[in-house]
Amino acid sequence: MSISALSRPGERDRPLMKFLEIDWVFCLLLCMVAGAGGLIMYSVAGGSWGPWAAAHFVRFGLFFLLMIALSMVDLRVWFFVAYPVYVIGLILLVGVELAGDVSKGAQRWLSIGPVRFQPSEVMKIGIVLALARFYHGLTADSAHMSWWLLVPLAMIGAPVLLVAHQPDLGTAILIGATGVAIMVLAGLSWRLIIAGMVAVAAALPPFIFFVLHDYQRKRILTFLNPEADPSGDGYHILQSKIALGSGGFLGKGLGLGTQSQLNYLPEKHTDFIFAALSEELGFVGSTAVLLLYAGIIFIALRIASSSHSHFGRLGSAGVTATFALYVLINGAMVMGMAPVVGVPMPLLSYGGTVMLTVMIGFGLVLSTRVHRYSEVTSGRGSLL
Amino acid sequence: MSEPSIFFSEVNRRQGDFNRRAFLLGGITGLGLTALGGRLALLQVVEAQRYEKLADSNQFNFRMVPPPRGRVLDRNGVVLASNRPNFRLMVAREKDSDVEAVVKNLCELVPIPEAKIPRLIRDIKRAPAKAPVPVMEDLSWEEFSRINVRSPELPGVTADMAEVRVYPFGGAFAHVIGYVAKVNDRDIKAIRAKGQTPDPLLYNPGFRIGRQGVEKAFDLDLRGKPGGKKVEVDAQGRVVAEDPGGDIPPTPGKEIVLTLDADVQQRALEVFGEESGAAVVMDCRTGDILCMASAPAFDANLFVRGLTTSEYRALADYERNPLLDKALSGTYPPGSTFKPTTALALLAAGVDPKERVHCGGSYRFGNTTFRCWKADGHGAQDMHDAIKNSCDVYFYHLCNRAGIDRIHDTAVKLGFGQVFDIGIPGQSHGIVPSTDWKKKAYKDPRQKVWQKGETLSVAIGQGALTVNALQMCVAASRIANGRKALEPRLIRSIGGVAQPSGAAVPDLPIPKDHLDTVRAGMAAVANDVSGGAYRQSQLGLGDVLMAGKTGTAQVRQLRGAKSRKNAGLPWKLKDHNLFIAFAPYDAPRYALAIIVQHGGVSGALAAAPKAREIMRTVLLKDPEIRARIEKPLPLPEVEPEAEVEGAAPDAPADVGAAPPPLESGPLVPQPDQPLVGAPER
Repeated sequence: MSISALSRPGERDRPLMKFLEIDWVFCLLLCMVAGAGGLIMYSVAGGSWGPWAAAHFVRFGLFFLLMIALSMVDLRVWFFVAYPVYVIGLILLVGVELAGDVSKGAQRWLSIGPVRFQPSEVMKIGIVLALARFYHGLTADSAHMSWWLLVPLAMIGAPVLLVAHQPDLGTAILIGATGVAIMVLAGLSWRLIIAGMVAVAAALPPFIFFVLHDYQRKRILTFLNPEADPSGDGYHILQSKIALGSGGFLGKGLGLGTQSQLNYLPEKHTDFIFAALSEELGFVGSTAVLLLYAGIIFIALRIASSSHSHFGRLGSAGVTATFALYVLINGAMVMGMAPVVGVPMPLLSYGGTVMLTVMIGFGLVLSTRVHRYSEVTSGRGSLL
Repeated sequence: MSEPSIFFSEVNRRQGDFNRRAFLLGGITGLGLTALGGRLALLQVVEAQRYEKLADSNQFNFRMVPPPRGRVLDRNGVVLASNRPNFRLMVAREKDSDVEAVVKNLCELVPIPEAKIPRLIRDIKRAPAKAPVPVMEDLSWEEFSRINVRSPELPGVTADMAEVRVYPFGGAFAHVIGYVAKVNDRDIKAIRAKGQTPDPLLYNPGFRIGRQGVEKAFDLDLRGKPGGKKVEVDAQGRVVAEDPGGDIPPTPGKEIVLTLDADVQQRALEVFGEESGAAVVMDCRTGDILCMASAPAFDANLFVRGLTTSEYRALADYERNPLLDKALSGTYPPGSTFKPTTALALLAAGVDPKERVHCGGSYRFGNTTFRCWKADGHGAQDMHDAIKNSCDVYFYHLCNRAGIDRIHDTAVKLGFGQVFDIGIPGQSHGIVPSTDWKKKAYKDPRQKVWQKGETLSVAIGQGALTVNALQMCVAASRIANGRKALEPRLIRSIGGVAQPSGAAVPDLPIPKDHLDTVRAGMAAVANDVSGGAYRQSQLGLGDVLMAGKTGTAQVRQLRGAKSRKNAGLPWKLKDHNLFIAFAPYDAPRYALAIIVQHGGVSGALAAAPKAREIMRTVLLKDPEIRARIEKPLPLPEVEPEAEVEGAAPDAPADVGAAPPPLESGPLVPQPDQPLVGAPER
C-alpha cells in the first residue's frame, strides 16, 4: 500500500484496499480500553461474567464490527445523510418531549415498538454531521465572522434546549460543547470566542440559581463542599475519592477493591467505573487508561487533520471532541473536580447506548481516514 | 469531480485554520488529561494513606461483644447467679425499609403477641437507623433457625445468640442478690447526673443493669469490659466476613463469692412456707452470714425477662409484701428477744443477777398498770429465771435502775440501731430509743422529755424500739461468741480477692461474766424443761444444744376490752413472732435470728421450730459439728446435766406441761401516746 496507490481513484475504491487503510493501532487502543472496562466489570461483579462483563464484551464486539463496516462507507454517504440524521434527531427529541418515558424523574427515553432508546444519543452524531456538512460549504471568512454563523448557532441551540428540558444537563452540555468546538475548529473569530466566553461566564450564576432544578443545584453545591453531608449528597464523590485514593500506587489488586466489592462505591460499573479501576489497579492502572484515551484522541485528531475534505476534518474532530469531553467530564467528576453529572467514561463504562454512539462516531473517524483523499462536494450528483 | 464553488486557496486557508485550531484543542485536551493525571497522583500517591484509612473504616467495623456477666457463687461454689444462652430476634430500621411489612412477615415465622406489635413498630421507628431493637427473646431453636434461613428476605432482621442472666434458685436469693433488668432512661439520666458518660455497653441491645442487692452494688465489678468483633461490612451494613485475628476479646465480669450457704438459705425459705418473715444465720466466729432469707420471695428471673403490669401488681399488692427485704429493710419490734440486751444493761448498771423480783402478774408504775404476759405471775424471779421465763415484771421493775440511755448503749454495742457494711444497700437503721433520740425525734418541747414509763416498754422490746433481722442476728452472735464485736460479712471475695473478715474487730466492752449470765438464761429457755421454748428448741443432735430467746411483739394497740388473743384477727394485726438463738451452746458456732411476721402465736410456737430446722441444717453442714454428733456421747454417770442444762433449782418442775406458754408485753408503737398496758386474758 502506498500513497500513490491510494490517490488513484480506481484503486482506492477496492474494499480490500479500504480495509487495509483502517488505522489498526487506533482500533487496538479502543479494544484495550473496552477490555479494561470488561475486566473491571468482571471484577466488581465478584469475579463473574454476569451481569455486566459478558454483555459488555459481546456489545463491544458487535459495535466494533459495525465501526469497521461504517469505516468502509464512503465519506460522501456520510455527507449525504448528515442533514437527515440531524433532522430525524430533532424530530425524535420533540417526540420525547411529547411522548417520552419517564425514568428517574427525567424524560429521556422513547419507545418505538420493542426498541427503547435515547434520542439525545442520535443528536450527538447528528450535530457533528450537520455542522460539518454546513461548514463544508462555508467560506473561511464566513466561518470566521458573518451572519451565516447564526445558522450553526441555531443548529446547536435547538437540540441543547430540548435535551436540557428533559432534563439531561450532562448531555445538553456535551452537545453544546461539541457544537462550539466544531465552530472553533472551523475558524471562528477569536473576538467572538472571547465575547462568547464572557457572555457564558456572566450568564452562569443567574442560570444556576434560577433555571436549574433543585436537585441539579444541590449537586453543584455538594460538589463545592462534599464533606458537608457525607452520607447524603456528598456520598458519591466522597466514596469515589476514597476508592481512588485507597488504591494507592499499585492498587489493591483485581477483585480486592473493598470500596467497589462492598458497594460503598455507587454506580461502580457505569459512571464510577474509573474509580473502581483506579482502586484495584492503582495509579499505574489509572494513568495507563488515561494514556490510552490520550492516544485515541491524538490519533483521531491526526486522522482529522489528514483529511482532504473539510467535512471529514470537522466530522472527525467533532467526534473526537465529544469523546474527549466524555473522558474529561467523567474523569473530573470521579476525582471530585466536577459535580456529579450522568456522563459515563466512554468504552470503559457499562451501557450500550453511549458505546453505540461512540463507535458510530469512530466509524466516521475511520471512514475519514480510509477516504482521506476523496473530495466531498456539496453537489448531489457526485455521490450517485 | 469537485465543484469549484470553494476555491483551492480557500480550501487551504480553511485547512490551515483547522490544523492550528485542532492543535490548540488537542493541546487543551492534553492539558485536561494531564490535570486528571495530576489529580490522580495527588489522590493515589500523595494522600493515599489518608484514603486507605477511610476505606478501612468503611470496610471494617467493630461490633461490640458484651462481656459475660460475673457469676455469683455461695460459700461452697454453688452457682447462685449465672448466664444462659438466649436466642434473640432483633429488627433494625434500614433505609426506606417498610417496618410494618417486616414485622408482619416476622409474625408469620415466630409467635409475636398481637398486643405487642404496635409498640414494637413504634420502638423500631424511634430507634436510630440500623440500631437493632430486640423484638423477642428466648426463641426456640426451630424459630431461631427459621429466622436465619429466611433472613435474606427480611431486611434489618437478625437473630443471634446472647447471654442472659439466670438465677437457678429462682427466688431464694432474690433479696440478697437482687436482679438485673433492661436499662431504662432513668438509669442513663442517673449516670449523666453524676457527670459521667454512660458506658456504651448500656446501649447494647439486650444489655441489663443490676437493679438490687449484690447485682446493683457490684454492678461494675460484675459487668466486665466489652470486647470487639472485627467484621467486614458492606455499604448496606451487612456483615460480609469476620476477621477473627482482629477481635478484641471481652473481659468477663468478676466472680463474686458470697458467704451464704445455698442449702441453708433454701431450707430457711422452705420452713417459712407461705408465712412471711426473715431469717438470718451468722457464723459467730467470723461474722459470715450463712443465710439471709426473706419470705415470701419472688422469682428474680421474671424481672430479668421484664414483668408485665399485672405480674408486677400481683407482687406489689400482695399483703405479705414479697418485694420487701424483711431481713434488712423491714424493721420490727424485737419483743422479748430484746430481754438479754436489757439484762446486760442491768448488769452493767450493777444489778446483782441473784436479786429477786416478785412477779404477781402486773406492775404498777405511776398510774399505769403494766401486765406480765403471765397473768397470774411468775413468783420470785432472779435474772436467770426472768430470761428463762421471759418475765416482764422483772424487767419492768429493774429497768429504770439501768436507765434508758444505758439500755441504748448496750443495744448499740450489740449491733442494734445501726447498719453494717456488708456491701449491699437497703439496710434500715431501726430505732433504739434514748433521751437524745427523743430530743431529736420530737418538735414539741413537752414531748422531748423521756418518760420513765417508756423505759418499761423498751425493756421488754416494745415501745419505740425497732430492729431488723440482721441486727438481731449480730446481737445474738455477739452475745454467743463471748467477746468479739463481730461484724457481719456477706461478700467473701470479688474476682478472687478476699474481703476482710468480720472477726478482725475489737472486743465487746462487756465483761465476760455478764455475757455468761445472759447465755445461761438463754440456754435455759431452750433446754430447761420449764424454759419458754424447750420443746421447740431441741435439735435432736445429741449433745449439740441450742440456746435461744423467744419474742412476741404486738402490732396493735391494746385498748379497752379487746381480746389479746390473735385467733380471728386479720393477718395484718396479728403479733410478730421472733426468736434468736445460737448453737452449740457450749462452744457457740452459729447464731440465728428469725422473725415471723404476724405469725399470730408466740415466739416459741411460730418462730422457734423454724429456727430449729434452720439451725439443724447449718450444724449438719459443719464437718466439725458432724464429727462431734457422730462421736459416742460421754458415759452418762459423770455429773451430766448441771452444766449443760443449767436448770434453775427453784424452777417449778413442770415436766410435760403441755401447751407452751404464751408470752407478750404491752405494745406502744407510738411513743407520743400514753402508755397503755392492759393485758387481759
